Amino acid sequence: MISAPLRAPAAAGAPLFRPASAPRPIRIRCAAAAAAPAAPAPTLYEVLGLRAGATVREIKAAYRRLARERHPDVAGAAPGAAAEFVRLHDAYATLSDPDSRARYDRGGAAVAAAVAQQRARPRWAASAGGYYGRPRRTWETDQCW
Amino acid sequence: MGVLFCRMAEQLYTVASDSETTGEDKSQPSFPDVAIGIDIGTSKCSVAVWDGHQVELLKNTRNQKGMRSYVMFKDDNLSAGVTGGTAQENAHEERDILSGSAIFNMKRLIGRMDTDEVVQASKALPFLVQTLGIGVRPFIAALVNNMWRSTTPEEVLAIFLLELKALVEMHLKHPVRNAVLTIPVAFSRFQQTRIERACAMAGLHVLRLMPEPTAVALLYAQQQQQQLMHDNMGSGIEKIALIFNMGAGYCDVAVTATAGGVSQIRALSGCTIGGEDILQNIMRHVLPNFDSFYAGQTMDRIRSMGLLRIATQDAIHRLANQETVEINVDLGNGQKVSKVLDHSEFEQVNWGIFEKCEKIINQCLLDAKLVPEDINDVMLVGGCSRIPRIRSLVLGLCKKEVSYKNIDTLEAAVAGAALEGAIASGVTDPSGSLDLLTIQATPMNLGIRADGDNFAAIIPRNTTVPARRDMLFTTTQDNQSEALIAVYEGEGERAEDNHLLGYFKITGIPPVPKGSVEISVCMDIDAANVLRVFAGVVKPQGPAIPPFIEVRMPTLDDGHGWCGQALAKMYGKTLDLAVLPKKLQP
Repeated sequence: MISAPLRAPAAAGAPLFRPASAPRPIRIRCAAAAAAPAAPAPTLYEVLGLRAGATVREIKAAYRRLARERHPDVAGAAPGAAAEFVRLHDAYATLSDPDSRARYDRGGAAVAAAVAQQRARPRWAASAGGYYGRPRRTWETDQCW
Repeated sequence: MGVLFCRMAEQLYTVASDSETTGEDKSQPSFPDVAIGIDIGTSKCSVAVWDGHQVELLKNTRNQKGMRSYVMFKDDNLSAGVTGGTAQENAHEERDILSGSAIFNMKRLIGRMDTDEVVQASKALPFLVQTLGIGVRPFIAALVNNMWRSTTPEEVLAIFLLELKALVEMHLKHPVRNAVLTIPVAFSRFQQTRIERACAMAGLHVLRLMPEPTAVALLYAQQQQQQLMHDNMGSGIEKIALIFNMGAGYCDVAVTATAGGVSQIRALSGCTIGGEDILQNIMRHVLPNFDSFYAGQTMDRIRSMGLLRIATQDAIHRLANQETVEINVDLGNGQKVSKVLDHSEFEQVNWGIFEKCEKIINQCLLDAKLVPEDINDVMLVGGCSRIPRIRSLVLGLCKKEVSYKNIDTLEAAVAGAALEGAIASGVTDPSGSLDLLTIQATPMNLGIRADGDNFAAIIPRNTTVPARRDMLFTTTQDNQSEALIAVYEGEGERAEDNHLLGYFKITGIPPVPKGSVEISVCMDIDAANVLRVFAGVVKPQGPAIPPFIEVRMPTLDDGHGWCGQALAKMYGKTLDLAVLPKKLQP
C-alpha cells in the first residue's frame, strides 16, 4: 500500500490545452497526506539522477536509460510502476524544454514542494490498491453483448 | 485446407472462459505463448510472428502475405479472405467479392454511427449499408441467395480473425491466444473496444492495440539499434523520424524520437481518408451520374458497380507507374465508360485528399514541436504511399529527397506488431534485438463537456502514456446539487463534435452559490491504455461531501449521437459545469 503518487506536476509540459501554467498546490487534503512524514522532495534533477547543470543531451540520455527500467512495459504491473514513470516523464518534460526548465530553475524549491505535496494520496485512492497495474478488464466482464 | 463455418445459426465463435484470463493456468502451455502480430487492413490483412530469431510473415495457402479482408456469405457457409474460398474451383475472385455476398471494409465501419460520413460513403459499396441518420449503428447485410442477411462489422471481423487464427495455429502447430493488433490513429476508444470484442469472439486476447505508425516506429528503432551495435557506436544520438501511413481506409502520421532502442512517440495525427475515398472520387469522376445510376441496390446494378470498381481500381494502380491510363468498361443499360486519365486530372479530382494529408503532417510536426529540418528519416508505408503525388507531397513537406529504404511499404506495420508481441510476451533475444521500448502517446484530446457545449480537454492529445491529469470545475447554478460529467474524446472545440465515451452524475453537491464549489475531474490512462475518470467535490470539504466516483471509460455501447444530444437537451442547463477560472484557483 505504498501510495501511488498522483497527477502530473502542473509544471510539466504546460500543454496547449491546459489552462494551468503555474504550478499550484494540490487541493486534496486527507488523513493519509497529513500522516505521511514530509520527506524532502527530490528535485526534478534528482528524479533523473542528474546534477542541476546537466546538458540537454544528458537529460535525454538519463530519461531514456531510466525509462528502460521504469516504464510499465519493462517494470511490469508492480503497483506504482506507472506513477513512477509518470514522475520520470514529467521531470524530463519540464527539463528538456528550455522555457519550462528556466522557470523551474528560478522557482525550483516551490515547484519541488508542490510536487511533493502531490504525492499525497487523495482520499478517493484510500481504498483502492492503486489503479496502476490493475489487470486490464477483459471483455468477459463486459455485459453489453 | 480452408476453414469453413457451417450453419450460421450455430455458434460461430468461441468464448474464452474466465479462468483463462486470470493467469492461473499460465504454467500449463508447453509452447511459448508469444503474442502474434496482426495488421487488419481495410483492404488487406497480414499476420506475423516472432520465430525465435526474427519476425516471420505468414502466408496463406495461396502463397499470399497480404490477404484480402472480407468475409463471403454463401448459402450456409462463411469463408474469409484468409483462405479466399477453399479449393481452387471455389476460389473467390474480385467480382465475387463485389457481388454483394461479401462484407469488406470492416475497419471503416466498425464502431461508427450512421451519421458518420465514413458510413455514409460506405453506401456506395456492393453490400447493404442502411442508415437512419440518428446516431445509432448502421444496419449492414450481405446478399445470400437473393436475400439480404444482416450481420455486424464486429461479427464479420471475428469470422475473419477466426480464420486467421486457424492459419497461424496450423503454421505454428500450437494454439494461439494472445495478439497485438495495429489500429489507425483516428480510431476512437469506442472503436478500440469493438476491435477487442471482435478478437474476443474469435478467441484472441488483445495484449495491445498499437497505432499503425508506432508499430513502424518500433521496427525502425530495432533497425537503428542493430545498426549501432554493428557499427559499435555506443548509445548513439537521437534520430527523428516521420512515418506517413496511408492505406485504403485511414491515413496516419507519427513523429518519433529514437535512440538506444527507445522509440518515443512525440506526436500522432490521423484521419479517415484513404484509397477507398480516392477510388470513389475517380468512380464519380468517370461516371458523373454515379449516384443516380446506382440508386437502389438491384442485382444488375450491384454487378455493374462491381465492374466499374474493378476497372477504376486497376486504373489507379497502373497510374502509379505510367503517365496515362484508359478506363473502358461497359456498365450495361446502355451506359459505357470510356475515359483516359492522366496524373494532373487524377490529382485535381483528389485534391481534397492530398490537402488533408498535408494538414495532418503539418499538425503532427507542430505538435511534436519540430521543424522539417529536424527530421532524419521519412518513412512511407501503406498501399497509397505508392501514389506519386502522395510521395512527393510527404517528402516535400519534410524537405527530403528520398524516403527511408529499409522497410517494406506493406509489411512494416505487421512486422512491428509482431515485435511488440514478442516484447510484451516477455521474450528476450541474446542478440539484443528485442531490447526495445516504445513510449506511446495518446492521439486525441480527452475531456468533458463544460461551459455550455464547450469541450474542456483534461488530457491533451500527444500526452505520454501512462498519464494522469486533473482539472477543476465549478457549478453554474446557485444551490446546484448535481453535475453531469459527459466524457468526450476528439479534436472538436464543441463537445458535440467529439466522440461521447460515457457520462455520469456527481450528486450531493452542497447547496452553495454558483461558482463557489470546486469539483475535481481527474483522468488517468494506465499502462494498459485503460482510461479511468475520477470525479468529486474537493471544496468545501467535510463529512457531508459524497464519495468520489471512479468510472472506467468508455461506458457507452451504442447511440453515441442521439445520446449526447439528449443529455445536452435534458440536463445541459441544470447540470452544467464551468471550468474554474484560473484567478480563482489558489
